[in-house]
Parts: sequence; C-alpha cells; structure tokens
Amino acid sequence: MAILEVSNLVKRFDDILAVDDLSFSVAPGEIFGFLGGNGAGKTTTLRMVLDIIRPTSGTISVLGGAPDRRQAGAIGFLPEERGLYSGMSAIDTIVYFGRLKGMNFGLAKSRGMELLERFDLADRAKSDIGDMSKGMAQKVQLATSLVNDPELLMLDEPFSGLDPVNQGLLENEILRASERGAAVIFSTHVMQHAERLCDRLLLLRKGRKRFEGTLEQARAQLPVSLIAVSRHDPSTIPGVASARPNGAADDGWQEWDVKLDPGVAPGSVLEHCTANGIGLRRWDERHASLHDVFVELVGGEGVEQ
Amino acid sequence: MMNNILLVARREIRQILAMKSFWLTLLILPLALALGPILGETLDDNEPTRVVVVDRSGGAAAAALEARFAEDDDRDVLRSLSRYVQRYELESADPAAPWTQHDRWYTAADIDAFRASGGVEAALKSIDAVRPEGVPEFEPDAREYTFLPVPDELIGQDGEAFADVAQTLFDSDAEDAPEVIVRVGENYPADPRIGLYSANQPRSSFVTALQETLTGDLRTRLLAERGISGAEAAAIQAAAPAIEVTTPPPGDGAREALLVRSIVPLALAYILMMSLMLSGSWMLQGSVEERSNKLLESLLACIWPEELMYGKLLGGLSVGLLMIAVWAGCAGIAAYATQGVIADMIRPALEPVSSPVIILAILYFFIAGYILISAIFVAIGAMVDSMSEAQGYLMPVLLAILLPITFLLQAILAGKEGLLVQVLTWVPLWTPFAVLARLGMGIETWVLVGTGILLAAAIALELVFLGRLFRASLLASGQRLSIKRLIERFSAQKQ
Repeated sequence: MAILEVSNLVKRFDDILAVDDLSFSVAPGEIFGFLGGNGAGKTTTLRMVLDIIRPTSGTISVLGGAPDRRQAGAIGFLPEERGLYSGMSAIDTIVYFGRLKGMNFGLAKSRGMELLERFDLADRAKSDIGDMSKGMAQKVQLATSLVNDPELLMLDEPFSGLDPVNQGLLENEILRASERGAAVIFSTHVMQHAERLCDRLLLLRKGRKRFEGTLEQARAQLPVSLIAVSRHDPSTIPGVASARPNGAADDGWQEWDVKLDPGVAPGSVLEHCTANGIGLRRWDERHASLHDVFVELVGGEGVEQ
Repeated sequence: MMNNILLVARREIRQILAMKSFWLTLLILPLALALGPILGETLDDNEPTRVVVVDRSGGAAAAALEARFAEDDDRDVLRSLSRYVQRYELESADPAAPWTQHDRWYTAADIDAFRASGGVEAALKSIDAVRPEGVPEFEPDAREYTFLPVPDELIGQDGEAFADVAQTLFDSDAEDAPEVIVRVGENYPADPRIGLYSANQPRSSFVTALQETLTGDLRTRLLAERGISGAEAAAIQAAAPAIEVTTPPPGDGAREALLVRSIVPLALAYILMMSLMLSGSWMLQGSVEERSNKLLESLLACIWPEELMYGKLLGGLSVGLLMIAVWAGCAGIAAYATQGVIADMIRPALEPVSSPVIILAILYFFIAGYILISAIFVAIGAMVDSMSEAQGYLMPVLLAILLPITFLLQAILAGKEGLLVQVLTWVPLWTPFAVLARLGMGIETWVLVGTGILLAAAIALELVFLGRLFRASLLASGQRLSIKRLIERFSAQKQ
C-alpha cells in the first residue's frame, strides 16, 4: 500500500493554476524524485500533503488517511526555506520539534543526540543555533525532520546551499531512511542527485505532470543519438530520424551525427546495417541524460547539472 | 492540541526569559520605586524661603509680618502634630493640649497656648512618654519662610537703585542671599505702598499673608487714630469665627479616601498597560523572528496555526503575570519593610479590592485584557517580515490604545465618571483598563457583569478574525500588504 497517494490534485490561487490534475503515489522504501522548474508547483503540492494549505480539488491520502496534523508524528519535513530559532541550542531545537511531533522528552533527546553524533555535531549540542555556521544549522534542521524516524520523509530542495560533504551526508540519510522502509519524496533542481538516488521520478511543469516513471523510462523519453562513421548515408536506414555529416569525409568515410526515432533501440539499427552490408568504422551510442529529459520536458529554466 | 499550545507557550516563555531586556525591565520598576522616594527627598526643596523686610516706618510692620508667618508656621506644626497624634491614637500624651484636639481650626489663642507650654519640643517629650514601640517619631515639616536681617547693601538705597541692589542680591550665589525683599516706606501708613521684590514669581500664599497682615496693621492704626485704644483695635482685628473642622481620619474619607481607594485599581490598570506593552513587544519580536528566520513552514508541518497563535498568547500572558507577580512581591516587601505611613495607606487602599467577587473580577479583566491586546501584537507579528515594518503598524495601534487610557486614568484620578469614562468602560478595547481603574470608585455589579460578557464576546470574535489573519499571513511573506489584501485575509477561510 502506498504511503502517499495523490489523485487528480488541483490547486488554484485566484487566477493562477498552481497544480493541475496531478496524480502520483509513493510506496514504502521508495525514493521519489519530484522535479520541476521554479513555480512548477512542487512546494505547493508538498504543503497540501502536509495540510498547510488545502487543495482546490482532488484527494490526498497520507498513511491511509486525509492530510492531518495528527499524522505529524509519522512525517518528516525539511522545507526549502530553512531557519531555526537563533537563541535555542541545537539539542533543544531537535527536542522541541520532536515533542511537537508527539514524542516524549526522553526519546526526543536521545534520538536528537544520536543524530547530532551521526552529523558530527555532538560537541555542539548545547551551542545556540545563532552561534553555528550555516552548514551546521542546516544539519540541525535536517535532524529535526528525522528525529521521529518518519514513515514519510519529504524534503523540499534539500541539497540547496549544502557543501559537497554535507550533500553526501544528506544522500546517506535519504538512503538510510529508504532502507528502513520510509517513503522518501524530495524535490530538486540538481539532476545528478536525482539520478543517483531516485527509484522513480516525476517531472512537473506549470503544475502539470509531464512524466512519471523510473530513470530508464525517463531516458527513453528522448531518442538515442549516436556518432557513426560510414560511407553510407544513415538517414536512409529505417528507425533513423536524422543524420548530419560532421566534418569532411576521409577517403569516402564520413562521420555522422545520427538521431534515432523515439523508442528505436540502437541495436536494431546496428543489426540492420550488418544485415545490409553497410560498413561501419565507428558506432558510439549516446543515451539521453536526465538533464536532457528535464530540458526537453520541462524546459531549461532553473535546472542544474 | 493543548499539548502543542503548552509546548509553544513554554518555548515563548523561555525565549523571553533569555532576553536581557526582560530582566532589565523586570528590575527597573522595583528600582524606580525604591529610588523614587530617595530621589524625591533629595530633590525636594526643604529650605525655607529667605525673606528680608526693609521697614523704614519704624519696624512695626516688619514685626507684624514676622509674627504672622511665625503663627502660620506654628499652626502648620500643630496641625500635622494633631494628625500624627490622631493616626497613632496618642491623645493620652496630654488630653488638654491643642494638638490632641483634632476638631477645630487652631486660633491664635491655641497657638499661644502651644508656645506657652513649650512648643513642639515639649509636645514631643509628652508624646514620647506614651508612644508605643513601632510608632515612628514625629518629624515636623520645615518652616516655609525665614526672616533675615536687612543686608548692608540695601541701607540708604531708594527707588531704582533699591531695585538694582535687590536684583544683585538675588543673583548672588551666597547661601544667605534673600529670595524675597519687602520694602515698607518711611511714610507708611500715610503712603500705604509696599514694595515686593522677588527672585522668582512670589507664591500667592505669601502675597496673601502679606496683604492680610499689613491690611490688619493699617486698620489697627486707623482705628487707633479714631480714638480706639490699641488693645481694643487689636481685639477687633483678632475677632474671628471659631471654625469647627470635621475631617476624615488619615487615609480615609472624601477626596483623600477616593485617591487612596483608587491607588490599587489605578495601579492595576497602569501595570496591565505597562506589562502589555512590554510583553507584547517581545511577542512581536518572536513572531517576526519566526517569519524572518523562515521557520514557520517547519512549525506548520507539525502544528496548526491556531495552536501556534494560542501558544504565543499563553506564553505572553504567563510572562506578563510573572512580571506582575514579581512587582507585587516587591511592593509587598516594600510595604512590610516601611510599615508606618505606607502600611496605613495600603490598608484602606486594599479595602475596595479585597472582596472575593472583586478579586475574581480583577483576575478576569486582567487576563481578558491581556489576551485582547496581545492577540493584536501577535497578528501584527504574523503580517510583517521585519521589526522596522512592525513599527509602522504598531504606532497607530499603540496610540489608539494608550491615548484614551491616559485620559481615562486622569479622569478617574480627578474623581470624574463622565461620558468618556462610561464610553471607555463599554468599548471592549478599553474595557479592562476602565473597569480595573474604576474599581476604587465603586462600579455597579451590572456594569461589571455586562462589560465582562461583552469583553468575552469581543475576544471570541477577535480570535476568530485575527486567527484568520494570522493563518493567512503566516506563509505570505514578501507581499505588500494593502487594505484589500488585509480584508481578504480577515475573511479568509482555510486556503
């Protein structure tokens, strides 16, 4: 059973359609990437899942019920805009959020200390947030979302503002949560994190879903391109969408930039060449990256490699 | 829900208690109360006004003036001694002495008798014989005027030269420099003009006494010129009705009683106002921090906006009550330590606020007032992104609350219960202050109940609308807040 199930979700702010007929689900242990440019509706969707705002129409099922603060104990949330009480110590902050999620003081404190140790911040447990570096404060905030061992972990742009070391730490925490069976949903602009972590992805553009599936399925959305060196013009081969000569021919051998039709496997084209005696000196396949898919489906705005 | 409200309230309390400004404010009032009387005493001008009478008519006028002011001073001493004796029931010291008879205006004869019996020194000796332990000693007030010999500089001066010398004397830094000079001419009383030179605006009481004394002197002389003997003339001049005076015992009755009875209620209204302004600004600071530090979304993922708002209100209320408890404790310690006059004042002052109904009313209106005004601060905090932006909304709100309260307290101090007081009593924004302040004067039960119900209804309505504003404003950072948007937020249901 899915931990999070969203069906035909619509959210309208006056004249602006922020989320348009969105449906998806996230299963336990699954890492789900929520990708989209600025204003795509990612944060609005997450806020609706958290019951911070209400949908215009559609349904959301969180842990088998409608969104409700009573489920806060099973949810971990890291917002895009981060901040904590500057005058509160790290451990007090984690305990405070743990208690707001229904934990008792002792458990919240012991879990908080475990997390601070894991994040190499145990010696700063009693330091005020205001006295910490930005990176340290961000780790404390991550700890506030993990303190209750959530069944549903939602991270809104979690990698933004983190240095490479802390990005690695965050990736580990996402994998750790997934391994213990939590459903993890995170939004990001950084494609490499999504490629490394996500079991499934959803691409959102102007509130509307453009794609949902695995990384392989996402890549398959774009035709494969390849570089071939042949005396024969590949554009006449079935399954080839286009072939453009690249540079001058050498003794009749020409380098070609070849684009296949969508859904055509490069192997079938290679097989056709072999069967029809078309000589090939080079055959380099180039599969689409998630970045390419993102740019193609969502547009280049706001994407990072 | 309650658990989350308590958690938010506790965090608010801890945050405010961690502020240096809280501790400074908490200590400033008791310090001011402690230092006030000391400073007041230091600043109080206890020195008598130095007077020189230049009498060139033979000295009779100067003697009459000195005698008159000495009589006034002795009458003041007698009066304050009488009130001291009455307050501490020390009449047994000398039942026949004028200062143990409190029901009349002291005549010249009383003053003569007082002087003949040895004056204040002899009276104090008698009192000391019967004064129980713990009763403070009597301390007579300083005399108002002291008469100095004529300075050499003024001898032989006349006209403008006299005025110039007088001015020079006034300007001098000498400790015995005169402050008032009265000049009686050589031809007095034929020429009845009297010159009055003063370093500052002369006190009307001084001018009146001068006028009365010299008028009496003039008339005595005129009567003598018409063949009436000096003794008869003096008797005519001294003829006066015997005025019986009925005054309330110290700290009770009439205007004094009204003031004393209103001390605690007025102080409550003041304290409510002060602690509200202080804790309100701290609550506002906390709300602004939550917005500017962008931690609202994290909070709202765990708790409802209403829980956040109620938690803040509860936190603010707790801090306010804590401050008041500390201040009340300090006042209690001060009263216990000083006893005497303050204890005498406190007893009648506590009288109007000592019945259980009134205590309940005080608690109700105090807490209700706190919630009513604090909710406005919290809502402002939710709407703005910075403290400077908050100031823009705060100023008009503060003026709207404080200005009428200032007028209200002044009206009650003056013993008035006119239209302004009535209106402010029934407008919920000022009801808590007006009701608290009016408790000393006496307030009808139906008014107490009616305003209480109206106030509860207003708070319920306020929490609904400000709750909507709070909820709608929390995540709407960076928006320019127009009137239209404000109205939208007031009427916003859950988005």
